[in-house]
Amino acid sequence: MLDWFDTNLVSMVDGVAYGLLLFTLAVGLSLVFGMMDVLNLAHGSLYLVGAFAAYALSDGSWLGFALAIGVGMVAGIFGGGLLAAMTAPLSGRGHLDQAALTLGVSLIAAEVMVMIFGAEVVPTQPPDALAGSASILGHRYPVYRLVFIAVAGLLAVGVYVAFERSSLGALVRATVADRDMVRAMGVDTRLVLFGVFAFGAALAALGGALGAPILAPGPGVDENVLVLSLVVIVIGGLGSVKGALLGALVIGQVQTLGVALLPTYAPFLLFGAMLVVLAWRPQGLASLVTRS
Amino acid sequence: MTPRRITRLTLAFGALGATLGVAACGGGTLGSTSEEASGPVKIGLLVPQSGVYKSLGDDMKAGFEVYLKEKGNKLGGKEVQVVTADEGETADTGKAAADKLVKQDKATVVTGVVSSATMNGVVDLFETSQIPLVGSNASPTTLTGKKFVWRTSYVNDEPGKALGAYVAKHETGPVYLLAADYQAGKDETGGFKESFAPAGGKVADEVYTPFPATKNFQPFLANLQKSGAKSVFTFYAGGAAVDFVKQYDQFGLAGKVQHYSAGFLTEGGVLTAQGTSAVGTRTAMNYSADLDNPVNQKFVAAYQSATGKLPTTYAMASYDAARVIDMAIQKAGKTDSKSINAAIGELGEIESPRGTWSFNDNGTPKQMWYLREVKEQDGKLANVVIEELGELG
Repeated sequence: MLDWFDTNLVSMVDGVAYGLLLFTLAVGLSLVFGMMDVLNLAHGSLYLVGAFAAYALSDGSWLGFALAIGVGMVAGIFGGGLLAAMTAPLSGRGHLDQAALTLGVSLIAAEVMVMIFGAEVVPTQPPDALAGSASILGHRYPVYRLVFIAVAGLLAVGVYVAFERSSLGALVRATVADRDMVRAMGVDTRLVLFGVFAFGAALAALGGALGAPILAPGPGVDENVLVLSLVVIVIGGLGSVKGALLGALVIGQVQTLGVALLPTYAPFLLFGAMLVVLAWRPQGLASLVTRS
Repeated sequence: MTPRRITRLTLAFGALGATLGVAACGGGTLGSTSEEASGPVKIGLLVPQSGVYKSLGDDMKAGFEVYLKEKGNKLGGKEVQVVTADEGETADTGKAAADKLVKQDKATVVTGVVSSATMNGVVDLFETSQIPLVGSNASPTTLTGKKFVWRTSYVNDEPGKALGAYVAKHETGPVYLLAADYQAGKDETGGFKESFAPAGGKVADEVYTPFPATKNFQPFLANLQKSGAKSVFTFYAGGAAVDFVKQYDQFGLAGKVQHYSAGFLTEGGVLTAQGTSAVGTRTAMNYSADLDNPVNQKFVAAYQSATGKLPTTYAMASYDAARVIDMAIQKAGKTDSKSINAAIGELGEIESPRGTWSFNDNGTPKQMWYLREVKEQDGKLANVVIEELGELG
């Protein structure tokens, strides 16, 4: 038992890092989809924007890193607002129209980024102080990923508190539940919806800026993270922060520990996990921890 | 979550699939109108100008252009017109582009083709329309016995084949095999085992990683470490090669487990992206920019002044494709597809930056292979030739 734990420790730790990275991506998509009923297939592009900001601005210094995070988030907020404005007129026309529009946006964004940054997966430096590897019980593990776990963990707690425990979060949830009532209270609900979109987008871009040294930006990465985010949402349950976190952590472990234990089945594990959850809890894992 | 929401998610996946499918079919046939055959000789250049293989396509285009410039835009003394078509990422986009070059542009000779999937998809087109395809990259092992399809690169399993015997002789203990799970990966490990086993080598384990889905190699690297193997043979290219090599270093395997691979692991742009993580990696390839021969020196200088980069094997193979067409037109004395194709088969020895090579019966090069190691020289990373691995082909 102790032996098993020792050999798989790194995989489990890495699963947490990977899961938290997925959380920063999936939570925005989940909230926008679950609360605003907008299917945003350009969500992966927002990750790329943040990750490319990190690539362009990170030079190994803390200042470059901070700059990358700032620029990435501003670009994310701007992108999110733009997408919200573009999809608003389509709100009555179903998901296929939204999908077509946002996918078109993501294809254009992908081509533009290829024009600017080239068609290669580009290296992204973490700050020099975090670039090395540390030893966890005798196993080498990148320091940056450890720090990422701490930062993204705090971020997850922050998002949870903001949405489930703060009055601003209550306003958002109220807008979803009964838009007319909130409007009658004198709140401009369009602003609330825009805000959620921009917030989700900023998180995805922040995920990109922080995650670039782990999941480097390049052509095709946007689709990759989009599909992963959708799987996380299916597993976790739509429109809930808790669900996104739970789904992301499960997928994180499936993709690291699961793959390490069953390498032969690696191609099937991701969707296998989704299938199991769909068969067992079609509402998503969040229903396990939420009182109904 | 209500049933309505579940339907919504199903819809989302459906919509994603449908729209991605539509997008995949749209690539690659921006066209110029066709011209009569009486003008310059039309050469079709079929390389990716978009998608994940774009950088390979750029290298191949640049290599071809360097040769053309050297010859004053004439091949075999005849004025040529190069028509470029975008191969894109998939067999579908590649096939559409090839169709356009053959049927609409009426190209006399076509060169290029990066992906093996495209190659498999277009072979019949060239065989039936009897137009020579001087391929300069893709060369799956299954492609044999064709009359109009040539390759100036190498057969997919040859880097592995070149390394197998060497690794068996120089490494102690079993060797771990790790490769991307698609045809090229299996070709490569197959080639490796073909020369590795007879030389007395033992395989520790053989694992294939999902492609292109794998971005995080940590679990596979953990298993490699667990196995206790002292050396590993891998196959990765493009973005996966960058991720793999960086993580190989980050998880503490670099310097502990000797890494052998097929040359494209550290070829061109990916090496810059890998940075110092790649130092010490040993690869087999048919070319290295530091090869010491006059043809190569001239090529490297011309290529550098045109692009500012060192040439890759992709650029070199495309440069050689231009040379093959040049020599064939010269030899044939005519500019029709059939005469040129017949002449290619009779070229004999071809002077190249990689050294002298010739076509074998399969239409692929018989050439020297080199063992290279990634080293840092004057602050720049380069694949430096350590020794010759012998001729293959």
